[in-house]
Amino acid sequence: MPVLRLPKFGNPVKYAYITGRVRAKKTKLIPNDMYQRMLSMDISEITRYLEETQYKDEIDEMAKDFSGVDLVEYATFANLAKTYRNLLEVSIDEPKFLILEYLRRWDVWNIKTILRGKFHGSSDEEIMKYLVPAGELDLEFLDGLAKKDTVEEVIQAFDGTDYYVALTQYDGHMLSSVENALDKLYYFRMERAVGGTLSVGGGLLLKYIRKEIDIKNVITLFRMNKAGIDASIIQENLIEGGKLGGDLSRMAGQSYDEFVRGLEGYPFWSAISDVATEGDGISRIEARLKAYLVRYAWAISNYHPLSILPVLGYIVSKDTEVSNIRKIVRGKEADLPAELIEEQVVVA
Amino acid sequence: MAVIPGTKPTRAVLIELKKRIRVAQTGHELLKMKRDGLMIEFFEVLGRARTIRQELVKEFIKSQQRLNMAKATEGTLTIKSVAFALQKEPTVELESRNIMGVVVPKITAESVQKLMFERGYGIIGTSAAIDEAAEAYESLVDKIITAAEVETALIRLVEDIESTKRRVNALEFKVIPDINDTVRYIGFALEEMERDNIVKLKMLKAKAQRAAAAKAAARAAAA
Repeated sequence: MPVLRLPKFGNPVKYAYITGRVRAKKTKLIPNDMYQRMLSMDISEITRYLEETQYKDEIDEMAKDFSGVDLVEYATFANLAKTYRNLLEVSIDEPKFLILEYLRRWDVWNIKTILRGKFHGSSDEEIMKYLVPAGELDLEFLDGLAKKDTVEEVIQAFDGTDYYVALTQYDGHMLSSVENALDKLYYFRMERAVGGTLSVGGGLLLKYIRKEIDIKNVITLFRMNKAGIDASIIQENLIEGGKLGGDLSRMAGQSYDEFVRGLEGYPFWSAISDVATEGDGISRIEARLKAYLVRYAWAISNYHPLSILPVLGYIVSKDTEVSNIRKIVRGKEADLPAELIEEQVVVA
Repeated sequence: MAVIPGTKPTRAVLIELKKRIRVAQTGHELLKMKRDGLMIEFFEVLGRARTIRQELVKEFIKSQQRLNMAKATEGTLTIKSVAFALQKEPTVELESRNIMGVVVPKITAESVQKLMFERGYGIIGTSAAIDEAAEAYESLVDKIITAAEVETALIRLVEDIESTKRRVNALEFKVIPDINDTVRYIGFALEEMERDNIVKLKMLKAKAQRAAAAKAAARAAAA
């Protein structure tokens, strides 16, 4: 793993401005009761409602290329990218550094999409449709990557960056090892970056990141233990770090029942106890765990008003909002029962 | 009576036709047995095809639900991005087998059902909804291949039953009756010719007798 060089920031750490901006942005988020009303609207009504919100510009701009559910999905993703980039633009010093580290997950997402596209032999126009430039890598750079001819050329473009070490794991046949390495690198960097901050709220953010790693690992264990995969292979797919790293690593390869019994007593158990023991679909358990993580981020976001925590709360809220809208419109498109859609929607 | 056109009513043709009748009757019996055998096979395959078709519909509905769920929870962008990572496309190998002379395909598929970590995408950055959708579609593709094999066999059997039925009917209602009619016709013609010959012979005999009598009368007169 590369060694992350933490920049030194002067005192006092400038959170007043960014938290003020975030408070203002929070008022533009879709209110919780609106999701319930959206469930009884049809797709065109939802689109019209979104046009009255912060998504107006993206919907107007994309209406010429997309329609219906696709329009809503692409527009909300575009707005998410714009919002996150705006957060980066209006922040300085430590907040900017931490926000950027957090948003690198979108860089990882984009790199993975470009690699997959090149691996598959898709055109650059096709690949560009599925990118969300919400991180450090801007659209111009991503466009340049998408125009490369092969996976190897894309990897070469990252020479000299932290990503390069992860990308060199590409064996020419399969992308899974590179994808996992990129995800692991992201969490490694994030844990290091947050661990290096001495500001108020840094400790709680670190706790959140570790919790996220644990939740990701628990989900991986649910998926792979249920499929009866060997412990050694599962362990390769676990992210290092987190609070429960050792415990979870030992659970790799256990029978499903034994594994579920082993999870009893952990803080997230109450969120999944009813679905995990029933042996329901893993996706349902995953949805519950993700909702648990979102609620945890919301809970800690109010602890220190002048810290990174309200920013984290906003980033998570915005992501959840986009995800909720997508779940509703896609669910309605597929005629999924309203109760099932409602169960997937995460509200405070 | 339908006589085979252009048939010469000769004894050689009659013998030839009688041989053909025997061959046609044996062929008719054999084709009837083949038709009945194919029908039995057809109903067996039909039962399998019906079950597989029902399972296929169920699998399709399940796969669609899983995909819709994955689209809802993860988004189309994620699904399409992950789909790009597909490592190996399934291949099918086509062989053939024989059911009572009917050549039906035997399809063997490779790389359809995969383990989670063999699908080509990273586990950490994807979700269980994607696994479930991929698993359901892999199972659907498997079912489609089985259904294709069984339904093609069914179609081939139906086609062969049809042609066998046509042959049996042609032999039963056209070829054998026509040969029989022709045999009867030749028989009549030969009998007619025989009668004709007898009359001719009788006439010749009467003529000869008359000539002999005249000769005897002339000799008696001369004496």
